[in-house]
Amino acid sequence: MTTAKKRLDGSAETARDPGVRRDWDQALRYVTQLASASTNAASSNYELLYSSLYAEFQQICHEIKNMRIAIASLQAHDLKNKRLPTVGGELDAIVEAVEEATNTIMESAEGIMAADPQDQNHVEQVSDHVIKIFEACSFQDITGQRVSKVVETLRHIERRVSRFAEAVGMEEMELKPCEEEEAREKRRGDLLLHGPQRKGEGIEQHAVDSLFADPNAGED
Amino acid sequence: MAVDQSMPILVVDDYKTMIRIIRNLLKQLGFSDVDEAADGTEALSKLKERKYGLIISDWNMEPMTGYELLKEVRKDEHLTRTPFIMVTAESKTENVIAAKKAGVNNYIVKPFNAATLKNKIDAVFGD
Repeated sequence: MTTAKKRLDGSAETARDPGVRRDWDQALRYVTQLASASTNAASSNYELLYSSLYAEFQQICHEIKNMRIAIASLQAHDLKNKRLPTVGGELDAIVEAVEEATNTIMESAEGIMAADPQDQNHVEQVSDHVIKIFEACSFQDITGQRVSKVVETLRHIERRVSRFAEAVGMEEMELKPCEEEEAREKRRGDLLLHGPQRKGEGIEQHAVDSLFADPNAGED
Repeated sequence: MAVDQSMPILVVDDYKTMIRIIRNLLKQLGFSDVDEAADGTEALSKLKERKYGLIISDWNMEPMTGYELLKEVRKDEHLTRTPFIMVTAESKTENVIAAKKAGVNNYIVKPFNAATLKNKIDAVFGD
C-alpha cells in the first residue's frame, strides 16, 4: 500500500470519527463565513470605487460640455474668416492712404520750392499747391475712422478671449518661446530696438542735447 | 570750421518718404549732393565706393541697423573719421548713450524740424 493511499485511508478513517467530523464542519462553516464576508467587503469596495469613478467621469463630461460651449462662444470662424481679414484690409488701406497723401503733400511742397518768383503766375501756382496740401490732409479723417474700426475689432477679440479664459478657468502659464522668437527678442534687446515711444515716454531733443554736452554721461 | 555745402552726404533710411524729407531739407540748407541707402548694408557698400563728408542715418532698419552701421564705420580705418548723425525715433536714454559710446557725432530724435537738422550739422562741423 502506497504512502499516499495510507494517508488517504487514514484521513477517511479520521473523517468518519464523529468528534473530528464535528470540528471540520465548524471549520468549514468558518471558512465559508470568511469567504462570504471577504466577498461582501470586496463587493462593497468595488461599488464605492465604481460610484466614485462614475462621479468623476460625469464631472469630466460636464467640464468638456462647458469647454465646448466656451469654445463655441469664441466664434473662431467669425474671427478668422471675417473680422481679422477685415482688420488686415483696413490696415492696408490706412498705409495706402497715408502714402498717397504724403506723396501729394511732398510733391506740392517741392512744387512750391521750385516755383519761380519771377513767373507772373507764381502766386497762382503756389496757391494751387497749397490747396492740394489742404486736400491731401483730409486723409487724417478717413484713416482716423479706419483706425477706430481696427481698435474696436481688437477690443472685441480681447473681450471674447477674456470671457473664454474665465469660462474655462484658464490660468496663465509661461510658454517657452520658440527658437526663432527667442533669437528675435535677443536681437531687439542687443540692438536697443524699442521703436517709437508714446508721448511722455521717450526723451525730448533738449534732453538728448544735454546728454551729448555732458562728457560723463553714460560712464559706468 | 564752415560747413562745406558741396560735400556729398549719404542719407540712410528704410522709409523712402523720410529720405525725401531729409533730402529736401538739406537742399534748403544748400546741400545738393545727396545719396541714399535703404539700410546699413547698402550704406556700407556705398561708403566703400565713394568718400562722403557726412552720414545721416536712421536706427531701426533691417538687415543692418543704423547702430550696427555706426559701429562698422568706426571700426573701418578709412571711414572712422566720417561724421555721423543719427536721426531716429529711438528716444530712450540708453539709445542715446549707446550711440554716443559708439562714436556718433550727434543725435536727432524724430519728429524733428529743419532748424534742428541745421543746428546739429553746424555743431558737428564746429560752425
